[in-house]
Amino acid sequence: MSAREHRAVVCLALLCSLSTTALPSWAAETLRIGAIPDQNPEKLNRLYGLLAQELSQKLQVPVRYVPVSNYPAAVSAFRTGGLDVVWFGGLTGVQARLQTPGATVLAQRDIDAKFRSVFIANTQSGLQSISSLEGLQTLKGKRFTFGSESSTSGRLMPQHFLQQGGVTPNQFAGGRPGFSGSHDATIALVQSGSYEAGALNEQVWTSALKSGAADPNKVTVIWRTPTYVDYHWVARPVLDKRFGSGFTTKLQKAILGIKPTTANGKTILSLFAAEEFIPASASQYAPIETVGRQLGKIR
Amino acid sequence: MKRPVVSAPLLCLLPALALVPVLIVVGEGLHGGGFETWWRFLQGAVQPSKDPLLLKSLWEGLQVTLATALVGWGLSTLIGLLLGVFSSDVLWESAKIPTWPAAAIRSLLALPRAIHELLWGLLLLQVLGLHPWVAVAAITIPYSALVARVFRDQIDSIDRRRLTAVLQSGASAPAAFVSSIGPPLQPILLSYGGYRLECALRSATLLGVFGLGGIGTELQLTLQSLRFAEFWSGLWLLILLSVLLEQGLTFWRHRQQTNPSQWNGVSVLTMTVLAVLVGGHWLQQLLPTSGTTLQLMLPPLPDISALQLAATELPWLRMIEQTMRLTLLAAAIAIALPPLCLLIFPGRIAKQVFLGLWTLQRVLPPPLTLLMLLLANLPSLALAALALGLQNAGVMGRLLVEGLDQQSPGTMKAIEVTAAGPRQAWLLGCLSPQSRSYLAYGAYRTDVILRETLVVGLVGGTGLGWMLIESLSSFHWAAVLLIIVCFALLTLAGESISDGLRQRWLRTPGESAST
Repeated sequence: MSAREHRAVVCLALLCSLSTTALPSWAAETLRIGAIPDQNPEKLNRLYGLLAQELSQKLQVPVRYVPVSNYPAAVSAFRTGGLDVVWFGGLTGVQARLQTPGATVLAQRDIDAKFRSVFIANTQSGLQSISSLEGLQTLKGKRFTFGSESSTSGRLMPQHFLQQGGVTPNQFAGGRPGFSGSHDATIALVQSGSYEAGALNEQVWTSALKSGAADPNKVTVIWRTPTYVDYHWVARPVLDKRFGSGFTTKLQKAILGIKPTTANGKTILSLFAAEEFIPASASQYAPIETVGRQLGKIR
Repeated sequence: MKRPVVSAPLLCLLPALALVPVLIVVGEGLHGGGFETWWRFLQGAVQPSKDPLLLKSLWEGLQVTLATALVGWGLSTLIGLLLGVFSSDVLWESAKIPTWPAAAIRSLLALPRAIHELLWGLLLLQVLGLHPWVAVAAITIPYSALVARVFRDQIDSIDRRRLTAVLQSGASAPAAFVSSIGPPLQPILLSYGGYRLECALRSATLLGVFGLGGIGTELQLTLQSLRFAEFWSGLWLLILLSVLLEQGLTFWRHRQQTNPSQWNGVSVLTMTVLAVLVGGHWLQQLLPTSGTTLQLMLPPLPDISALQLAATELPWLRMIEQTMRLTLLAAAIAIALPPLCLLIFPGRIAKQVFLGLWTLQRVLPPPLTLLMLLLANLPSLALAALALGLQNAGVMGRLLVEGLDQQSPGTMKAIEVTAAGPRQAWLLGCLSPQSRSYLAYGAYRTDVILRETLVVGLVGGTGLGWMLIESLSSFHWAAVLLIIVCFALLTLAGESISDGLRQRWLRTPGESAST
């Protein structure tokens, strides 16, 4: 073996021994917050960056935002402890709490207690405004899309109301509905005419109209659903053990204490499209659980 | 009577027939409503967002994806090589031990191989939680089994006379094995090893699209919210990384081929070890708090009655039929498109344009391609097949051009002077010698496509893939388990069919085929 090769082997051996340092290192207890991915990432990053900063100041613990890009991943991460506090939708929140006994509902936005979905249609589809549940029958045989498969306002509640109106998913054109993946994509796909109609979160629809992302000449609301309860903050049961007793209550107070009177608070609330956060309880979400079980999304 | 035989270059182009129904469906479904969005999409390519906060998070995502790919690649190459050696008959024979353990290892490896890395990722996510090493494991498990299979096939096909000679000269079995099997294995280690790294980068990106972190996550979120400027910032970064990686690997392979030395194999192994160590440290640095949460948290397992109920509830026939249709259409597109493009548009400039286009097709994960196609087209299974076929056509195209570039231009020149047209000369002189190995690779690619139907099921709402995602999101474990078993069986069946085809195409006398 030449000297050069000899050196190479020694180097390789040294590098191999480095692997012992790659073992997990335990960092200081960090509160990991997450959210279901129903906003664009630029907004999510800004929103949760600010929120992490605000909560860290109030609670005196390091807070980190962990991005998640799919709904069931957020539920599993919450169950397995990868996320401590999560901004869940109605359905995902119920799923997460059923899988994580002892998890607590912390808060919701003022708008979440009376949330709505809208059914939208391409103006060239010939679909007219609907005034009653039975009117949904006009959607039979049309190309129709939901949003994400786990979304409360983009799938679960619209499907529930469709069922009440006597429409099942296999009665749409092609024998099945589409799943666009997000509220924004639903608007774009209905506006383009790929789908004749779709259902989504009313708040996203309103802001799309305001920003110009939705063109009222091409896509229009044909029905507003009755109200139901949606998004909420949920915390894992072990937080008190990890961060000291009373931490969960402190966390709840910190979230409820975000007010538009401070600069940070104002930005956070406007990014959440809310006036304020209000207390919420698990019992409010019982109807969501019932619907979830009826439609097979909760087993 | 002799059966009529279709000659190989025509076989390459024959799958183009599948383009006819796809183009009819897509053409009928095409509408102008989405062109405005497409225009904004193209504008985004020219004017990507330069928001510093976004760029920072994209940069971090890119690093996570690269580090994941490196660790996954390094681990799977090392593990795969070991498993490949131990599952070869030659090893056991050289030590004069019965070969049944080799066969046992081979059949055990069929299962990890039959399940796509995305499925591993989604399952491990349920068991281990949101942890960067989940993506690494998701790549390592199926890749190790794939690599093991390739090496085992190579090892067992090496001429054994050398090994016998060394053994008879009195050398110990391990020494004889390494010295006689090692050198012939080097070229495949070089070419296949490099190729796996490119695959690992694609897989790491795709895992991100489905929520396992990295740049894929950012791409998915930006495209889904139609933030094209921001989407393109991420895509340009990813394209840059892919091109750098591919060019770097090609250069390295070329250098190793022109100066072959017995240290080539060692240098590949050194690279894999380095990749694991550097990538591992890098991941740890990027996601520092992740070390605390790696633990086994099994979801509740379904009992027999739940399984029986799920088995009767699921629409098996429709799901399987859709999955097969999707696979065949996508495979036909992937195999036929590259030679067809080169045939219709001969010339050096066209080739460069296609190479660029194919890079884009490879980099863009199929679910994202599908969403873009869906904006200007009515939803259909053919559209999902097109999205899946396009990415694989990107892979096939590059391979075809590499093969074409390596062969000598003699035959084509000879045909050209017989006053044949440039296209005929290309078809007979250029494509013909390559077509067998190209088709053999196409058969392997069809396998990959079957596994990948999982990926476009979501947006298309079709096939086993969609039902799996729907069951996972309902946490309906009985259905998840059954669909995975069905998927694995289908994949294994497909694998044995494509193996048979591949061997038939490679076995023709007088034609050497590259791997």
